[in-house]
Amino acid sequence: MVKKVVEVKNEAGLHARPASVLVKTASRFKADFTIKMYGYAVNGKSILGVMTLAAEHGAEMELIFEGEDEQEALEQVAALFENKFHHQQL
Amino acid sequence: MKEIKPKVLSGRPAAQGIAIGNIWILTDDNKPVHPEKISKKEIKSHLAKYEKAKAEVTEEYEKIKQFPDEFDLIEIMEAQIQTLNDPEVIKQITRKIESELSTVDYAIFSTYNDYIQLLEAADAKWANERTIDIVSVRDDLIQATKEKKRVFDVKKGEIVFADDISPTTMVKLSQKKIGGIVMEKGGLTSHAVILSQSLGIPCVMHAHWDRYNIVRGYQAIIDGSTGQVIVTPSRKQIDEYQKRREDERSRFEKALEWAQKPDKTKCGSDFKLRANVEFLEELPKLSSHGASGIGLLRTETILFETDEFDIDDQIEFYKQVVESVEEDSVTIRLFDAGGDKLIEGSEGEANPFLGWRGVRMLLDKKKLLKRQLEAIYRVGGIYTGRIKILIPMISRLEEIRTLRLYCEEVKNSLELAGVKYDQNIPIGIMVEVPSIAIMAEEAAKEADFFSLGTNDLTQYTLAVDRGNEKIAHLFDSFHPAIWKLIKMTKDAADKEGISVAVCGEMAGSPEAAACLLGLGINDLSMNSSSIPKVKSVLCKHTLSEMQVLSNKVLGARDLDQVHNYLEDWREF
Repeated sequence: MVKKVVEVKNEAGLHARPASVLVKTASRFKADFTIKMYGYAVNGKSILGVMTLAAEHGAEMELIFEGEDEQEALEQVAALFENKFHHQQL
Repeated sequence: MKEIKPKVLSGRPAAQGIAIGNIWILTDDNKPVHPEKISKKEIKSHLAKYEKAKAEVTEEYEKIKQFPDEFDLIEIMEAQIQTLNDPEVIKQITRKIESELSTVDYAIFSTYNDYIQLLEAADAKWANERTIDIVSVRDDLIQATKEKKRVFDVKKGEIVFADDISPTTMVKLSQKKIGGIVMEKGGLTSHAVILSQSLGIPCVMHAHWDRYNIVRGYQAIIDGSTGQVIVTPSRKQIDEYQKRREDERSRFEKALEWAQKPDKTKCGSDFKLRANVEFLEELPKLSSHGASGIGLLRTETILFETDEFDIDDQIEFYKQVVESVEEDSVTIRLFDAGGDKLIEGSEGEANPFLGWRGVRMLLDKKKLLKRQLEAIYRVGGIYTGRIKILIPMISRLEEIRTLRLYCEEVKNSLELAGVKYDQNIPIGIMVEVPSIAIMAEEAAKEADFFSLGTNDLTQYTLAVDRGNEKIAHLFDSFHPAIWKLIKMTKDAADKEGISVAVCGEMAGSPEAAACLLGLGINDLSMNSSSIPKVKSVLCKHTLSEMQVLSNKVLGARDLDQVHNYLEDWREF
């Protein structure tokens, strides 16, 4: 299992479009993906789950991956937060 | 048939154009599905129904995604497909069928509803506006389990009345070549409105239509430019709007020929007609409509659409806009949210138009402001001398000074970073609050140029909220008080030697444009589709004829007189 705390850097927060990019990227990996925020935990491959977090700019969340490709998955998803979800092809 | 009285509703203009046709009602999809139990033997068949429905709807959405050249549609549909195949949703629906012995319909209905409720309750406006997308996924799935696909028996040219419209429904309706749309909800950032604009379907939003008195098959007229809806219009009204629609079309075609002539009056005086632009989709039409650059680039949509007001995304957008007008200039209005264009944090104000909007919000959202300024200055470095900055909603001079400090700060940091930028971008202000028109002489010493926003100037001067249907008829930009404020602004600008442009809807009406030229304001910006007709009128008349008109208008006592003077010019 690998974990990392990331911050939502996008001004508008983790709204519909970034949520969609996040789910799309995470779903390419086999590892299970959980996002923990303020005591809530949601499945990071669930667009509705991610959207209901309604994470605002500056919110911190913990990304947790578990599975064979967990390291790579974590790196790519964490990079999305860094890039503010710009590059879908990542 | 029994005679029915015409009923007028007013909503907010969302996508322009006139439509006349029969009413077709998009029934609310959210009919409650009641909980019913199945027997254990039925579990397998209900699970299978769910699988089949999910596959069918996914396929259908994939097809919509292929719909040619559609703006934003791919991303919207991808999110819809993700919603359909959300692993948590699948788990919950499966569990409800297997262990709670729910019917497949109810399992789908209740699972999606939990999420819909959460998003409805969220503070973020974006979340509230996405619920319609989830409702449509839910209902498409339920329909598919019943093996009767939701078919829209809407006919070509019919006018769709709806509560709200999901993007998938919007696409399906547009394929049926509907004439127009009236909806109760919607917002400028809602998918339905964005799509209706890019598909060229006249649309009125925020129209409160009465479900008990509006019947399918009744006739209706909608005017997407004014937000007016007439249900069961009289013969006379139909004739009138039909004529208007045809006139608009034929005048437009004729006027297009004028669009390519030089911007000169009959006597050879110069003027400039520029375009108001918001979407990239509008750019290809600018040159055929005869626009000389862009007098008002609205940045609300790009900033709402590009995630997080990202600098690179903005630069890309501004570059495409500047490239499209060859040698001409582009006036970029800083982010003007607030009023009816909500941004998070501005919801729930009792008087949004008198509230946290324009420069007031920008000065509080420093990061957003600095990002936008940085993007603009950097684009200026590529197209030096072709970009201007316009500050919205200035009501006191201190705001101009503070904003200039931010410009300096951004320029300094670009200088330090060694990034190329335009050092001398003119910084102008919108004259749209009466206090500034009254103080125009002082303001002219601090601003590099003025741009008159006649819509807001009208609503603030006349104290009329045109979204309020009880008083919307009192909203009239031709009120003599507005002409006096315009004249004051122009005189003050002349005294200080700065330029004045008009970028409100007023400039798009040929008679008002003629009157503005008579006042000496020869830089007008409007929706690009209005340019040909305005230009044809201006080219056919001399400046002295226009001065006669403006003198008469400035001496008018009341609105009737103004309209009488302008009336003579409407024939052209």
